[in-house]
Amino acid sequence: MEMNSKSILSISNLKMKFGDNEVLKGINLEVGKGDIIGYIGPNGAGKSTTIKILLGLLEGFTGEVKIFGESIVNQISYKKRIGYVPESSDIYDNLSAQEYLTFIGELYGLEHDQVNKKAKSLMKILGIEDVYESRISSFSKGMKQKVLIISSLLHNPDILFWDEPLSGLDANSVIVVKEILSTLSLRGKTIFYSSHIMEVVEKISNRILLISDGLILADGSFEQLRDKSEGSLEEIFNQLTGFNEHQSLASDFVDIIETGDSI
Amino acid sequence: MKDFMILRLLDKFQKIFLAIEVDYPIMRRILQVKLTMDTRRVSTFMSQSNTKKENNEKNYFISSLWLYILIGLFLIPLLFISEDYIFAMSTIFGIFMFMIMTSLISDFSSVLLDVKDKNIMMTRPVNSRTMNTAKAIHIFLYLFYLSISLAGGVLITSLIRFGVLFFLLFLVEIVLMNFLIITLTAMLYTIILKYFDGEKLKDVINYVQIGLSLVITVGFQLVARLFNFVDLSIVFVPRWWQFLIPPVWFGGPFQLLLRGDLNISYIIFSLLTLMIPILAIITYIRLMPSFEKNLLKLNENSEKKTKPKKNPNIISRIVCTSREELIFYRFASSMLKKEREFKLKVYPSLGFAFIFPYIFLMNQLQMQSIQELPSGNGFLNLYFSAIIIPSILIMIKYSGNYRGAWIYKALPIDNVKPIFTGTIKAFVIHLVLPVLSINSIIFILIFGVRIIPHLLAIYLNFVLLTLITFFMLDKNLPFSMSFNDINKESGKTIFLMIVGGIMALVHYLSTLIPFGLLVYIIILFIINIITWKKTFNLSWEQIQWN
Repeated sequence: MEMNSKSILSISNLKMKFGDNEVLKGINLEVGKGDIIGYIGPNGAGKSTTIKILLGLLEGFTGEVKIFGESIVNQISYKKRIGYVPESSDIYDNLSAQEYLTFIGELYGLEHDQVNKKAKSLMKILGIEDVYESRISSFSKGMKQKVLIISSLLHNPDILFWDEPLSGLDANSVIVVKEILSTLSLRGKTIFYSSHIMEVVEKISNRILLISDGLILADGSFEQLRDKSEGSLEEIFNQLTGFNEHQSLASDFVDIIETGDSI
Repeated sequence: MKDFMILRLLDKFQKIFLAIEVDYPIMRRILQVKLTMDTRRVSTFMSQSNTKKENNEKNYFISSLWLYILIGLFLIPLLFISEDYIFAMSTIFGIFMFMIMTSLISDFSSVLLDVKDKNIMMTRPVNSRTMNTAKAIHIFLYLFYLSISLAGGVLITSLIRFGVLFFLLFLVEIVLMNFLIITLTAMLYTIILKYFDGEKLKDVINYVQIGLSLVITVGFQLVARLFNFVDLSIVFVPRWWQFLIPPVWFGGPFQLLLRGDLNISYIIFSLLTLMIPILAIITYIRLMPSFEKNLLKLNENSEKKTKPKKNPNIISRIVCTSREELIFYRFASSMLKKEREFKLKVYPSLGFAFIFPYIFLMNQLQMQSIQELPSGNGFLNLYFSAIIIPSILIMIKYSGNYRGAWIYKALPIDNVKPIFTGTIKAFVIHLVLPVLSINSIIFILIFGVRIIPHLLAIYLNFVLLTLITFFMLDKNLPFSMSFNDINKESGKTIFLMIVGGIMALVHYLSTLIPFGLLVYIIILFIINIITWKKTFNLSWEQIQWN
């Protein structure tokens, strides 16, 4: 197929089980260069599992996963071209931002001085250069998130896998990060990110994947999704995932607050 | 980041690592980061002395090693007391194994159980062999420092007293012992993680830390006395159960190889010493992947089916007089029982409170025969538990989660009194009374039921001392300050210990007068009631905020 030759990431019939629990039930996906893909779905839908498989963190899946045209099984060199922001915000917070970022840069094969300079400049742009030499444990959630974002970009990767990249960021930082994403995509980077904030996904993705219960429910641009059903992405999301109880849940919730009776 | 000496030493072996397909520069970098982070961790002993300065870049672990060296020195006499190697060496290995394993669990668990490693490093172009080798070297270094500190003194003494062969055998066995320790520790974690969740494991680690602090401090008190009791002419008689205790195996080879004692037990011990640790470490390496898989459970908190306790409220309803007091009683009870950092600071002291009376009782035994003891005044040693009360009560205003104290300000609490009465009641009921009650039962067994009236006076004094302590200390809200800001108020604590001593003295004097004890109890009872009334008459203005 012609599509395949240009494809940066290709997943076919990906399945994953944890014990008896089938988390992914056959994911199929082709991603081309420069796409910004918003990956949305309810908690437990399989979003993070997919990303972890793509990064080689989870083994024991079935199906085929190719990145840059090659299967990722037992490969590590493809990781040099990938930037990752983990959902769990795992970070060595006993280290200073400087120590952490230079360490990560060196794992990607960069020289210490080069990363140091780069990291410092990036921190400056995101407005946190004054804490460059402080321990990450003293950072706020938003500052930590910025460090994680920078750590995923130090080596100028071709694909970004960002799991909940905006969590903890303040409104201004969200705007900056959104702009960074579109600029990266214009320069040919492929971006694959998950988020719960529908407005953001709606605005910056040129392709939206809706995953629920281990399957892709919808795949297309926001306009294409809107052709299928009405309203904002949030409403489409609710319709497609079959979640339409929010109003009754909310009124039950407030009823309990006011009367104290359980229903 | 510091370039550690040990890394420069490793550089000399670069070729070996490259030969086994380890990416040496990356591995070196990982180790450098790990060692740097070690310098910023606080070890169990150091966390007790708690003066944590942010920029103090020395390795807390290294600086806590003197303690292990000291413990090791205490073991040297064992090499001189017995003609049989088996007794001395089994004891030494028993203590080594205990010390190293508990230290490994309490101080190094954060390294062994790190789930971040995988997420941070394996998502980068790092091969798993490089990462695992770095981890193995890290563990090796830790065990090496620990073993050398602990065994150094004994090793050198053994070289002088028993010669080179003994020394070498000893050295080899220490290595084998470490294999066994690593595997046993990993097994322990695996079993706990398999059947429970990460929270349970953290609890277990917390209790090991508490136990270790306790054993070390009490151990120093006991070791000196121990030698008075040990019968030097012990003859070792092999028994079946000894085959189940690894330290006993380690004594076997000395007896077999150096004494030429061909007793079948020693032969079996020697075989076990050699084979079990080697088999263990091989199994461990084989099973490492499944161990790692279990680790993923670490951050899970399985939706707990906390069994609703039967009649949880009976005691609280009896002791609490108002609704507000009940609320804070329950809150304080949960904090005392569940907060790990608080427990780590307080429970070891509680352990001393439990053990102190017996240490002094043993002292008394050196002057008195065991037959005379029950008829004497030895039960007054219970007061030695009391001297711990001030140093524990002082901790009640600290918490690892001190930031949660905003609730005091944000919630509409008009009266500050129930906060303190509820907390002090929880303190007495959950911390003071259990220790005192267990000791009371043991003392009744030793001294007979005749001491029950005395115990009544002791209970009243303990409560009174708690109240006086509370009265004297700065009034901060419970659980509202960081452990980093600890102020021991040492002057007051010492004064309060003296008060405890005076209580004991008056108690003793009262026994010399007819009906003295009865009068003492009545007076104490009245003072207690008055103090309860007076002490807690506090208003918000008297509270110190930090």
